[in-house]
Amino acid sequence: MTEPEAGSEFERARRAADERALVESAKRGSTAAFETLYRSHVGKVYGLCLRMTANTAIAEDCTQEAFIQAWRSLPSFEGRSAWGTWLHRIAVNAVLAQARRRGERTGADAPADEMAARLPDPTAGNDGGVLDLERAIAGLPAGARRVLVLVGVFGYSHEEAAAMLGLAVGTCKSQLHRARQLLGERLGAPEVDA
Amino acid sequence: MNGVRDESAGRLEEALARLPRSVEPPGDLWPAIEARLEPRDSRSGGRRWQWPAAAAAAVLLVAASSLITASLLRRDNTRDDAVVAQRSPAPSGAVLAPAAFGPGQALGPAYLAARGELARSLEARVARLPPEGRLQLERNLAELRRASEEINAALELSPGDPLLEELLLNVYQDELAVLASVNQMAAGNGGTTNDPTRMQL
Repeated sequence: MTEPEAGSEFERARRAADERALVESAKRGSTAAFETLYRSHVGKVYGLCLRMTANTAIAEDCTQEAFIQAWRSLPSFEGRSAWGTWLHRIAVNAVLAQARRRGERTGADAPADEMAARLPDPTAGNDGGVLDLERAIAGLPAGARRVLVLVGVFGYSHEEAAAMLGLAVGTCKSQLHRARQLLGERLGAPEVDA
Repeated sequence: MNGVRDESAGRLEEALARLPRSVEPPGDLWPAIEARLEPRDSRSGGRRWQWPAAAAAAVLLVAASSLITASLLRRDNTRDDAVVAQRSPAPSGAVLAPAAFGPGQALGPAYLAARGELARSLEARVARLPPEGRLQLERNLAELRRASEEINAALELSPGDPLLEELLLNVYQDELAVLASVNQMAAGNGGTTNDPTRMQL
Protein backbone atom coordinates (compact mmCIF):
# COMPACT_ATOMS: atom_id res chain seq x y z
CA MET A 1 0.00 0.00 0.00
CA THR A 2 1.16 3.51 -0.71
CA GLU A 3 -0.34 6.09 1.53
CA PRO A 4 -2.36 8.74 -0.21
CA GLU A 5 -0.70 12.12 -0.26
CA ALA A 6 -1.97 15.53 -1.09
CA GLY A 7 -0.99 17.31 -4.25
CA SER A 8 -0.76 16.65 -7.93
CA GLU A 9 0.54 13.53 -9.59
CA PHE A 10 3.69 15.42 -10.51
CA GLU A 11 4.21 16.57 -6.95
CA ARG A 12 3.76 13.04 -5.63
CA ALA A 13 6.25 11.70 -8.15
CA ARG A 14 8.77 14.38 -7.25
CA ARG A 15 8.41 13.61 -3.55
CA ALA A 16 8.80 9.91 -4.17
CA ALA A 17 11.95 10.53 -6.19
CA ASP A 18 13.34 12.78 -3.48
CA GLU A 19 12.58 10.14 -0.90
CA ARG A 20 14.24 7.41 -2.93
CA ALA A 21 17.35 9.56 -3.18
CA LEU A 22 17.32 10.15 0.55
CA VAL A 23 16.91 6.44 1.24
CA GLU A 24 19.84 5.61 -1.06
CA SER A 25 21.95 8.23 0.64
CA ALA A 26 21.02 6.94 4.09
CA LYS A 27 21.83 3.42 2.91
CA ARG A 28 25.34 4.63 2.15
CA GLY A 29 25.63 5.99 5.67
CA SER A 30 24.37 9.55 5.55
CA THR A 31 22.80 10.36 8.89
CA ALA A 32 21.82 13.77 7.48
CA ALA A 33 19.68 12.05 4.86
CA PHE A 34 18.27 9.76 7.50
CA GLU A 35 17.42 12.74 9.68
CA THR A 36 15.46 14.25 6.78
CA LEU A 37 13.57 10.99 6.44
CA TYR A 38 12.99 11.00 10.18
CA ARG A 39 11.63 14.56 10.12
CA SER A 40 9.18 13.78 7.37
CA HIS A 41 7.91 10.52 8.87
CA VAL A 42 8.16 10.85 12.64
CA GLY A 43 4.66 12.25 12.98
CA LYS A 44 3.00 9.29 11.34
CA VAL A 45 5.20 6.76 13.08
CA TYR A 46 4.53 8.36 16.46
CA GLY A 47 0.83 8.62 15.64
CA LEU A 48 0.79 4.93 14.82
CA CYS A 49 2.72 3.94 17.95
CA LEU A 50 0.68 6.23 20.19
CA ARG A 51 -2.62 4.83 19.06
CA MET A 52 -1.42 1.25 19.07
CA THR A 53 0.07 1.46 22.57
CA ALA A 54 -2.28 4.05 24.10
CA ASN A 55 0.66 5.23 26.16
CA THR A 56 2.77 8.29 25.40
CA ALA A 57 6.01 7.09 27.01
CA ILE A 58 5.87 3.68 25.38
CA ALA A 59 4.97 5.28 22.07
CA GLU A 60 8.10 7.43 22.27
CA ASP A 61 10.23 4.36 23.00
CA CYS A 62 8.68 2.46 20.13
CA THR A 63 9.18 5.39 17.77
CA GLN A 64 12.85 5.59 18.68
CA GLU A 65 13.28 1.84 18.33
CA ALA A 66 11.55 1.88 14.97
CA PHE A 67 13.92 4.47 13.51
CA ILE A 68 16.98 2.79 14.99
CA GLN A 69 15.86 -0.55 13.57
CA ALA A 70 15.14 1.12 10.25
CA TRP A 71 18.69 2.48 10.14
CA ARG A 72 20.11 -0.96 10.87
CA SER A 73 17.92 -2.63 8.28
CA LEU A 74 18.22 -0.01 5.55
CA PRO A 75 20.88 -1.94 3.61
CA SER A 76 18.34 -4.69 3.04
CA PHE A 77 15.56 -2.32 1.95
CA GLU A 78 15.05 -2.95 -1.74
CA GLY A 79 12.19 -0.59 -2.38
CA ARG A 80 9.61 -3.26 -3.10
CA SER A 81 7.24 -1.31 -0.87
CA ALA A 82 7.13 2.38 -0.13
CA TRP A 83 9.62 3.54 2.46
CA GLY A 84 6.76 4.76 4.68
CA THR A 85 5.00 1.41 4.56
CA TRP A 86 8.24 -0.40 5.35
CA LEU A 87 8.82 1.97 8.25
CA HIS A 88 5.31 1.39 9.57
CA ARG A 89 5.90 -2.33 9.49
CA ILE A 90 9.01 -1.85 11.60
CA ALA A 91 7.08 0.40 13.99
CA VAL A 92 4.39 -2.25 14.40
CA ASN A 93 7.10 -4.79 15.17
CA ALA A 94 8.55 -2.41 17.75
CA VAL A 95 5.12 -2.08 19.36
CA LEU A 96 4.64 -5.86 19.43
CA ALA A 97 8.11 -6.44 20.84
CA GLN A 98 7.52 -3.82 23.51
CA ALA A 99 4.20 -5.46 24.43
CA ARG A 100 5.90 -8.82 24.74
CA ARG A 101 8.59 -7.39 26.99
CA ARG A 102 6.06 -5.72 29.24
CA GLY A 103 3.55 -8.51 29.18
CA GLU A 104 0.46 -7.94 27.13
CA ARG A 105 -1.92 -5.47 28.67
CA THR A 106 -5.10 -3.95 27.50
CA GLY A 107 -5.72 -0.28 27.32
CA ALA A 108 -7.26 -0.40 30.76
CA ASP A 109 -4.14 1.00 32.39
CA ALA A 110 -3.41 3.48 29.66
CA PRO A 111 -3.49 7.16 30.55
CA ALA A 112 -6.09 7.84 27.91
CA ASP A 113 -6.64 11.45 28.91
CA GLU A 114 -2.93 12.17 28.73
CA MET A 115 -2.77 10.44 25.38
CA ALA A 116 -5.74 12.31 24.07
CA ALA A 117 -4.08 15.55 25.06
CA ARG A 118 -1.27 14.74 22.62
CA LEU A 119 -3.65 14.31 19.75
CA PRO A 120 -4.53 17.28 17.61
CA ASP A 121 -8.15 17.91 16.86
CA PRO A 122 -8.40 18.16 13.07
CA THR A 123 -11.87 19.62 13.31
CA ALA A 124 -11.23 22.18 16.00
CA GLY A 125 -14.42 23.82 17.08
CA ASN A 126 -16.56 20.75 16.72
CA ASP A 127 -18.32 19.05 19.59
CA GLY A 128 -15.28 17.23 20.94
CA GLY A 129 -16.34 13.98 19.34
CA VAL A 130 -12.86 13.41 18.00
CA LEU A 131 -11.32 13.37 21.44
CA ASP A 132 -14.08 11.08 22.66
CA LEU A 133 -13.25 8.77 19.79
CA GLU A 134 -9.53 8.87 20.61
CA ARG A 135 -10.27 8.04 24.23
CA ALA A 136 -12.56 5.22 23.22
CA ILE A 137 -9.86 3.80 20.93
CA ALA A 138 -7.31 4.03 23.74
CA GLY A 139 -9.62 2.05 26.00
CA LEU A 140 -10.02 -0.86 23.61
CA PRO A 141 -8.34 -4.22 24.27
CA ALA A 142 -4.88 -4.21 22.73
CA GLY A 143 -5.58 -6.70 19.95
CA ALA A 144 -8.73 -5.00 18.77
CA ARG A 145 -7.13 -1.57 19.08
CA ARG A 146 -4.15 -2.48 16.89
CA VAL A 147 -6.32 -3.81 14.11
CA LEU A 148 -8.63 -0.81 14.30
CA VAL A 149 -5.70 1.61 14.11
CA LEU A 150 -4.10 -0.11 11.13
CA VAL A 151 -7.27 -0.69 9.16
CA GLY A 152 -9.62 2.03 10.35
CA VAL A 153 -7.24 4.93 10.89
CA PHE A 154 -4.25 4.19 8.65
CA GLY A 155 -6.20 2.56 5.86
CA TYR A 156 -4.29 -0.68 5.51
CA SER A 157 -6.14 -3.65 4.06
CA HIS A 158 -7.00 -6.63 6.24
CA GLU A 159 -4.32 -8.62 4.46
CA GLU A 160 -1.68 -5.98 5.12
CA ALA A 161 -2.70 -5.50 8.74
CA ALA A 162 -2.82 -9.25 9.35
CA ALA A 163 0.68 -9.63 7.90
CA MET A 164 2.00 -6.79 10.05
CA LEU A 165 0.45 -8.18 13.21
CA GLY A 166 1.20 -11.83 12.51
CA LEU A 167 -2.50 -12.72 12.49
CA ALA A 168 -4.73 -14.71 10.21
CA VAL A 169 -6.87 -12.49 8.03
CA GLY A 170 -10.00 -13.94 9.63
CA THR A 171 -8.70 -13.05 13.07
CA CYS A 172 -7.97 -9.56 11.86
CA LYS A 173 -11.53 -9.18 10.62
CA SER A 174 -13.05 -10.48 13.82
CA GLN A 175 -10.85 -8.16 15.89
CA LEU A 176 -12.01 -5.22 13.80
CA HIS A 177 -15.62 -6.26 14.24
CA ARG A 178 -15.08 -6.46 17.98
CA ALA A 179 -13.39 -3.07 18.02
CA ARG A 180 -16.27 -1.47 16.16
CA GLN A 181 -18.79 -3.04 18.49
CA LEU A 182 -16.96 -1.80 21.56
CA LEU A 183 -16.49 1.66 20.10
CA GLY A 184 -20.18 1.83 19.29
CA GLU A 185 -21.06 0.92 22.86
CA ARG A 186 -18.58 3.32 24.40
CA LEU A 187 -19.55 6.20 22.20
CA GLY A 188 -23.17 5.73 23.11
CA ALA A 189 -24.32 4.37 19.81
CA PRO A 190 -25.85 1.03 20.75
CA GLU A 191 -27.64 0.87 17.44
CA VAL A 192 -24.28 -0.08 15.86
CA ASP A 193 -24.73 -3.48 17.37
CA ALA A 194 -28.50 -3.56 17.26
CA MET B 1 -32.65 -2.26 11.59
CA ASN B 2 -29.82 -3.11 9.24
CA GLY B 3 -30.07 0.30 7.65
CA VAL B 4 -29.62 2.03 11.00
CA ARG B 5 -26.71 -0.21 11.81
CA ASP B 6 -25.04 0.39 8.46
CA GLU B 7 -25.50 4.12 8.77
CA SER B 8 -24.00 4.16 12.24
CA ALA B 9 -21.10 1.94 11.17
CA GLY B 10 -20.55 4.22 8.20
CA ARG B 11 -20.35 7.26 10.45
CA LEU B 12 -17.82 5.50 12.63
CA GLU B 13 -15.72 4.58 9.59
CA GLU B 14 -15.76 8.17 8.42
CA ALA B 15 -14.81 9.45 11.86
CA LEU B 16 -11.91 7.00 12.04
CA ALA B 17 -10.69 7.91 8.59
CA ARG B 18 -10.79 11.62 9.50
CA LEU B 19 -8.51 11.18 12.49
CA PRO B 20 -5.11 12.73 11.89
CA ARG B 21 -2.53 10.05 11.15
CA SER B 22 0.33 12.30 12.09
CA VAL B 23 0.92 13.23 15.72
CA GLU B 24 3.99 15.16 16.75
CA PRO B 25 5.86 13.60 19.67
CA PRO B 26 6.15 15.75 22.80
CA GLY B 27 9.84 16.41 22.22
CA ASP B 28 12.47 16.00 19.55
CA LEU B 29 13.42 12.33 19.53
CA TRP B 30 16.16 12.75 16.95
CA PRO B 31 19.12 13.43 19.30
CA ALA B 32 18.46 10.21 21.22
CA ILE B 33 18.03 8.29 17.97
CA GLU B 34 21.12 9.77 16.36
CA ALA B 35 23.20 8.83 19.40
CA ARG B 36 22.31 5.18 18.82
CA LEU B 37 22.97 4.99 15.08
CA GLU B 38 25.98 2.83 14.39
CA PRO B 39 28.20 4.13 11.61
CA ARG B 40 27.41 2.23 8.46
CA ASP B 41 31.02 1.23 7.74
CA SER B 42 31.39 -0.59 11.06
CA ARG B 43 28.70 -2.95 9.86
CA SER B 44 30.72 -4.07 6.89
CA GLY B 45 29.60 -6.98 4.86
CA GLY B 46 25.98 -6.13 5.30
CA ARG B 47 25.40 -9.17 7.48
CA ARG B 48 21.98 -8.70 8.97
CA TRP B 49 22.59 -9.87 12.49
CA GLN B 50 19.74 -9.17 14.79
CA TRP B 51 20.70 -9.54 18.41
CA PRO B 52 18.73 -12.72 19.04
CA ALA B 53 20.35 -14.38 16.07
CA ALA B 54 23.75 -13.20 17.21
CA ALA B 55 23.09 -14.51 20.69
CA ALA B 56 21.84 -17.79 19.30
CA ALA B 57 24.90 -18.08 17.12
CA ALA B 58 27.13 -17.47 20.10
CA VAL B 59 25.25 -20.04 22.16
CA LEU B 60 25.45 -22.54 19.33
CA LEU B 61 29.13 -22.07 18.83
CA VAL B 62 30.13 -22.08 22.48
CA ALA B 63 27.95 -25.05 23.32
CA ALA B 64 29.02 -27.07 20.30
CA SER B 65 32.66 -26.34 20.92
CA SER B 66 32.18 -27.37 24.52
CA LEU B 67 30.66 -30.61 23.31
CA ILE B 68 33.63 -31.37 21.12
CA THR B 69 36.04 -30.44 23.85
CA ALA B 70 34.17 -32.65 26.25
CA SER B 71 34.15 -35.51 23.80
CA LEU B 72 37.87 -35.26 23.13
CA LEU B 73 38.58 -35.24 26.80
CA ARG B 74 36.29 -38.21 27.35
CA ARG B 75 38.20 -40.13 24.73
CA ASP B 76 41.19 -39.75 27.02
CA ASN B 77 39.13 -41.21 29.84
CA THR B 78 39.02 -38.00 31.77
CA ARG B 79 35.28 -37.79 32.26
CA ASP B 80 35.49 -35.46 35.25
CA ASP B 81 37.58 -33.00 33.32
CA ALA B 82 35.07 -33.15 30.48
CA VAL B 83 32.26 -32.04 32.71
CA VAL B 84 34.37 -29.17 33.91
CA ALA B 85 35.15 -28.23 30.34
CA GLN B 86 31.50 -28.19 29.46
CA ARG B 87 30.78 -25.78 32.22
CA SER B 88 33.67 -23.52 31.46
CA PRO B 89 33.87 -20.76 28.92
CA ALA B 90 35.03 -21.72 25.48
CA PRO B 91 38.66 -22.71 25.23
CA SER B 92 41.08 -19.89 24.76
CA GLY B 93 42.09 -20.94 21.28
CA ALA B 94 42.01 -18.12 18.78
CA VAL B 95 39.07 -19.49 16.84
CA LEU B 96 36.82 -19.75 19.83
CA ALA B 97 37.83 -16.57 21.62
CA PRO B 98 34.75 -15.45 23.54
CA ALA B 99 35.56 -11.83 22.82
CA ALA B 100 34.45 -12.38 19.27
CA PHE B 101 30.88 -12.84 20.44
CA GLY B 102 30.19 -9.86 22.58
CA PRO B 103 27.05 -7.83 22.29
CA GLY B 104 26.50 -5.84 19.16
CA GLN B 105 25.99 -6.45 15.54
CA ALA B 106 29.36 -7.01 13.90
CA LEU B 107 29.70 -10.70 14.57
CA GLY B 108 29.68 -11.92 11.02
CA PRO B 109 33.32 -12.56 10.06
CA ALA B 110 34.44 -13.95 13.42
CA TYR B 111 31.38 -16.12 13.69
CA LEU B 112 31.75 -17.46 10.19
CA ALA B 113 35.44 -18.22 10.73
CA ALA B 114 34.74 -20.05 13.95
CA ARG B 115 31.83 -21.89 12.46
CA GLY B 116 33.99 -23.00 9.57
CA GLU B 117 36.53 -24.37 12.00
CA LEU B 118 33.78 -26.14 13.87
CA ALA B 119 32.40 -27.60 10.66
CA ARG B 120 35.81 -29.04 9.77
CA SER B 121 36.02 -30.71 13.19
CA LEU B 122 32.57 -32.13 12.74
CA GLU B 123 33.35 -33.52 9.30
CA ALA B 124 35.77 -36.02 10.76
CA ARG B 125 33.14 -37.15 13.23
CA VAL B 126 30.46 -37.38 10.60
CA ALA B 127 32.72 -39.56 8.48
CA ARG B 128 32.70 -42.12 11.24
CA LEU B 129 28.93 -42.37 11.29
CA PRO B 130 27.13 -45.28 9.62
CA PRO B 131 25.77 -44.34 6.16
CA GLU B 132 22.15 -44.17 7.23
CA GLY B 133 23.04 -41.99 10.21
CA ARG B 134 25.07 -39.70 7.98
CA LEU B 135 22.23 -39.40 5.50
CA GLN B 136 19.74 -38.55 8.21
CA LEU B 137 22.10 -36.00 9.68
CA GLU B 138 22.68 -34.32 6.35
CA ARG B 139 18.96 -34.19 5.70
CA ASN B 140 18.29 -32.64 9.09
CA LEU B 141 21.02 -30.05 8.76
CA ALA B 142 19.96 -29.15 5.23
CA GLU B 143 16.39 -28.67 6.40
CA LEU B 144 17.48 -26.45 9.25
CA ARG B 145 19.73 -24.36 7.03
CA ARG B 146 16.95 -23.93 4.52
CA ALA B 147 14.67 -22.82 7.35
CA SER B 148 17.19 -20.31 8.66
CA GLU B 149 17.71 -18.91 5.16
CA GLU B 150 14.00 -18.47 4.68
CA ILE B 151 13.57 -16.81 8.04
CA ASN B 152 16.49 -14.49 7.36
CA ALA B 153 14.94 -13.57 4.02
CA ALA B 154 11.65 -12.84 5.76
CA LEU B 155 13.48 -10.71 8.31
CA GLU B 156 14.79 -8.58 5.48
CA LEU B 157 11.22 -7.72 4.60
CA SER B 158 10.07 -7.36 8.16
CA PRO B 159 13.03 -6.31 10.29
CA GLY B 160 12.63 -6.84 14.00
CA ASP B 161 9.64 -9.13 13.63
CA PRO B 162 9.50 -10.81 17.05
CA LEU B 163 7.91 -13.99 15.74
CA LEU B 164 10.54 -14.42 13.04
CA GLU B 165 13.32 -13.76 15.54
CA GLU B 166 11.90 -16.38 17.85
CA LEU B 167 11.66 -18.84 14.98
CA LEU B 168 15.28 -18.17 14.10
CA LEU B 169 16.31 -18.82 17.67
CA ASN B 170 14.42 -22.10 17.59
CA VAL B 171 16.18 -23.12 14.41
CA TYR B 172 19.55 -22.43 15.97
CA GLN B 173 18.59 -24.46 19.00
CA ASP B 174 17.44 -27.31 16.79
CA GLU B 175 20.72 -27.16 14.92
CA LEU B 176 22.56 -27.41 18.19
CA ALA B 177 20.50 -30.44 19.15
CA VAL B 178 21.45 -32.09 15.85
CA LEU B 179 25.12 -31.32 16.44
CA ALA B 180 24.81 -32.79 19.92
CA SER B 181 23.39 -35.96 18.40
CA VAL B 182 26.42 -36.15 16.10
CA ASN B 183 28.63 -36.05 19.11
CA GLN B 184 26.73 -38.83 20.83
CA MET B 185 26.55 -41.03 17.75
CA ALA B 186 30.23 -40.58 16.96
CA ALA B 187 31.24 -41.23 20.54
CA GLY B 188 29.27 -44.46 20.18
CA ASN B 189 28.77 -44.90 23.87
CA GLY B 190 25.12 -43.95 23.91
CA GLY B 191 25.77 -42.06 27.08
CA THR B 192 24.25 -38.72 27.80
CA THR B 193 25.92 -35.59 28.90
CA ASN B 194 24.44 -32.46 30.33
CA ASP B 195 22.24 -30.74 27.78
CA PRO B 196 24.54 -27.97 26.62
CA THR B 197 21.73 -26.00 25.02
CA ARG B 198 19.88 -25.43 28.22
CA MET B 199 23.06 -25.19 30.27
CA GLN B 200 24.47 -22.36 28.20
CA LEU B 201 21.18 -20.53 27.90
